Amino acid sequence: MKLTMDTIKPHSFSLNYVLSLSNAKTELNRNFPVVHIKGNSTNKSDKECITLPKKAKSKQNQNGKKDTISIPEKPTDFELEIFKTLDKNIKNFKKMMDSPADLVCKEIQVGGTSSHCAIVFIDGLSNGQYIAEQVINTILTFDLKSNQINPSPQQILTELQYKVLPTADDISVKASLDEVSLDVLSGNTAIFIDGSDQALVISSKEVNQRSLEEPITEALIRGPRIGFIEDIRTNTTLVRRGIRDPNLRIKSLKLGRRSKSDAAIMYIEGIANTELVKEVVRRLESIDTDDVPETGFIEQWIEDSFLSPFPQVQHTERPDRVRAALIQGRVAILLDNTPFVLIVPVTIGQHFHTPEDYYERWLLSTLVRVLRYVAAFISVFLPGLYVALVSYQPGMIPTALALSIAGSREGVPFPATLEAILMGMTMEILQEAGLRLPKPIGQTVGVVGGLVIGDAAVAAGIVSPIMVIVIALTAIASFALPSYSIAISLRILRFANMFAASLFGIYGLIMVYIMINVHFVNLKSFGVPYSTPYGPLIPKDMKDLVLKVPMTFMKYRPHMFQPGDKKRMGNPKRKGSQ
Amino acid sequence: MKSFEYGDWEIGLKEIGFAVSAMVIGVGLLSLPRDVDLVTYVADGWISILIGGAAAALFAYICAKLASRFPKQTFYTYASRLVPKPIALGITVILICHFLFICIYEVRVISDVAKLYIFFKTPVEIISLIFLLVVVYAVRGQSVGILRLNMMFLPIILFIVLFVYTLSVNTFDINNLLPFFVTPPLNLLKGAQKAYLSFAGFEIVLFYISFMNKPDKAPRAVVIGMLFPIVLALLIFIFSIAVFSVTTREILYPTIEMAKEIFADIGFFERIEAVFFTIWIMTIYNTAAMAFDVAVIATKSIYPKLKKMHYVLIFTPLIYLVAMIPQSYDAIEKYGRVLNISCLVFESIIPTVLLFTSIVRRIKGENKKDKTLPKEA
Repeated sequence: MKLTMDTIKPHSFSLNYVLSLSNAKTELNRNFPVVHIKGNSTNKSDKECITLPKKAKSKQNQNGKKDTISIPEKPTDFELEIFKTLDKNIKNFKKMMDSPADLVCKEIQVGGTSSHCAIVFIDGLSNGQYIAEQVINTILTFDLKSNQINPSPQQILTELQYKVLPTADDISVKASLDEVSLDVLSGNTAIFIDGSDQALVISSKEVNQRSLEEPITEALIRGPRIGFIEDIRTNTTLVRRGIRDPNLRIKSLKLGRRSKSDAAIMYIEGIANTELVKEVVRRLESIDTDDVPETGFIEQWIEDSFLSPFPQVQHTERPDRVRAALIQGRVAILLDNTPFVLIVPVTIGQHFHTPEDYYERWLLSTLVRVLRYVAAFISVFLPGLYVALVSYQPGMIPTALALSIAGSREGVPFPATLEAILMGMTMEILQEAGLRLPKPIGQTVGVVGGLVIGDAAVAAGIVSPIMVIVIALTAIASFALPSYSIAISLRILRFANMFAASLFGIYGLIMVYIMINVHFVNLKSFGVPYSTPYGPLIPKDMKDLVLKVPMTFMKYRPHMFQPGDKKRMGNPKRKGSQ
Repeated sequence: MKSFEYGDWEIGLKEIGFAVSAMVIGVGLLSLPRDVDLVTYVADGWISILIGGAAAALFAYICAKLASRFPKQTFYTYASRLVPKPIALGITVILICHFLFICIYEVRVISDVAKLYIFFKTPVEIISLIFLLVVVYAVRGQSVGILRLNMMFLPIILFIVLFVYTLSVNTFDINNLLPFFVTPPLNLLKGAQKAYLSFAGFEIVLFYISFMNKPDKAPRAVVIGMLFPIVLALLIFIFSIAVFSVTTREILYPTIEMAKEIFADIGFFERIEAVFFTIWIMTIYNTAAMAFDVAVIATKSIYPKLKKMHYVLIFTPLIYLVAMIPQSYDAIEKYGRVLNISCLVFESIIPTVLLFTSIVRRIKGENKKDKTLPKEA
């Protein structure tokens, strides 16, 4: 049970007190029967659940419908309507929230008139100073121009909305407590006016956010040193700042039955395929869960195949990456309280790209991309290949190397397969351990793991030095991949490869390779085949895949996303050409 | 999760061209130099390959022409418009067997070659089972997925062939190719027949064209798709003769053995032929997967009530069991000979007859404007 304070000071101007009704006794006695709510519209179902008779509820309970979420029943002794009596509204509102400690609710007189109004907000979520200076002061010094002593409440509301309080970013009129409560919980301030059956809502969000820093997971040598933060408005601003196109669309929606998190879909009208946008909206609207704390939740709800080891949605912390994606005709999904933004659709090739590729000159970018593909192959196949060659096809290793491998494996008690799996697991454990620990200890783990275990294991004759080289190379190669999520997928496949190689040698490896490719061609990310432009061969898109042709040659947007406006540039005139 | 489509499951010209190339490049090309060299002298086999290739391209064109006259219709549908329905049914059923047999043959030969080059103890039964299961993994997906797989694998094959053959330039002895034009014409024709048979498989277009969005341009794409294997076959044949000279006819798979010569020459890489063959598995895989897939599509066109997966589950044990029957190389060759006959019938005679009927009786499918295609594609 919450602690409730019994102090009621309706006319006090101090902002730090908490008002609540002393109905703790009834609360204690209240039992919480379970109600099932069906359907998307929470507003409606909330009302339904309140009006449902108790017997019907218990019946539904016994039926045990699986697709419903059970929530404790809200107290039935309040109503969601806004009445003309101020006290009733306040009472209802407080009962609805059960008078939490951080709810501030103060009644003040509308200056110059005899009407009262109540200001309701949540301490901490809303900016107290702003409310005191801009809202309360303004209302107190409110002076109705028509010099009526008793203006109608509606008049006051209109005056307040249009003449007195327009300094606020956003001001609106709400007609039900349900909407008002959502606003208050988002950090806005509600004003109930005695005698009016509507409430004014003024935006007064307290912005306490960290500063814009360079994202840790996507560091670049060259490029903007700025990353997204946890505030969605800042994030949309960061994207918009780079694209001053009136066609940049931001569609906002609320996700999660209980969390009601702010989400936004960003795309550029005219570039992004309309079908794609529709599909993204449809999938996002299909999210029906109580809490959406991070974009990872969204990703898991909307991805095409949950069985695939490959990420079908790209996530990033970099505004420049999102901007580039929007310009390509893709769609970004932003969520409040997380710096990670989702980009859909994505293909396998794009997981190997970084924003830096486009900032650097084409030759370097191309070579680096080739390097990344090599790294990806090493990361997936090297341990498997080692196992296959040592245990099945030793004849394929060049003689000198074969001799040195055989020499180094002298005295190693395990077969190559076991050795590889052992070292692979050790590597994974070290990696995971280093990730979670605070930085100074993390380094210790690195030293202990890398030097002590590696060196000692070789010295003790448990593993061969070649095996240590193979595993180390594999680990380094997997870090060379620009996307963490694709690196994870490849880690999983690495073990699949080790098993296949231990059973069937290089035949097993090629079978796994074929299966990965079969998986690629059948996988889709929002209607776009994951293997594009390799799979459905699109030679135009090959310009920006492994190869990155000089900027002036990339005249068209990627064809694979079927953008509306295909052309990226006019008829480029290269420097020096006439 | 339901996904929306851009219409990307339609098959375009590129897909059909690649499909024909990938289908034709299979186990046939591995032994092509030996087969042709058995009946021709010195390097004259290239004429045979050219004649055989031209014939194959011609019949591929006929198949494509026939299928493209009936856009968005299955083979069974238009065959039953051209000939009496029981005959059409009979042809389709035998065609299904024909494709299943191609798949069986590929599965069996791949296992034997794998046993020869990369395995020592693993039994053929296990090797084929693994291969077949991976084929099933592709067939259970979309047909268009398999066609996309061709696009991804074919460049790799091309790369490895060029790589291996470039490295073997040092052992290339041009004197082995001389003298030209010493083979009697009859032998050249016999060679052409052998070459033609190793280009078998293009009859898949009879089925795949029904999924195409622009079927009227298909014949050209198919012929272009045929050119690639013909050029590859010429390259392989000439290199085999130049490197192995007369011993070509004694080598089981000269195409693979070529890679062995590199080792002798360069010395660092060992047993490149195993790597070469491993990568060649990818194209054989495509052939087997497409043959299996077409068999399923054909069966589904006759009896559409069952799902694709059901047919896959029915055919898989069948393929495996029949593939495991032969105990010796000769028995497998017998399979090859049966396949040769059915290839001659199904890719030359029947399509020609059907096309002829279609032209004479002026039966033609309508080119529907709407883009509603069966989703199974």
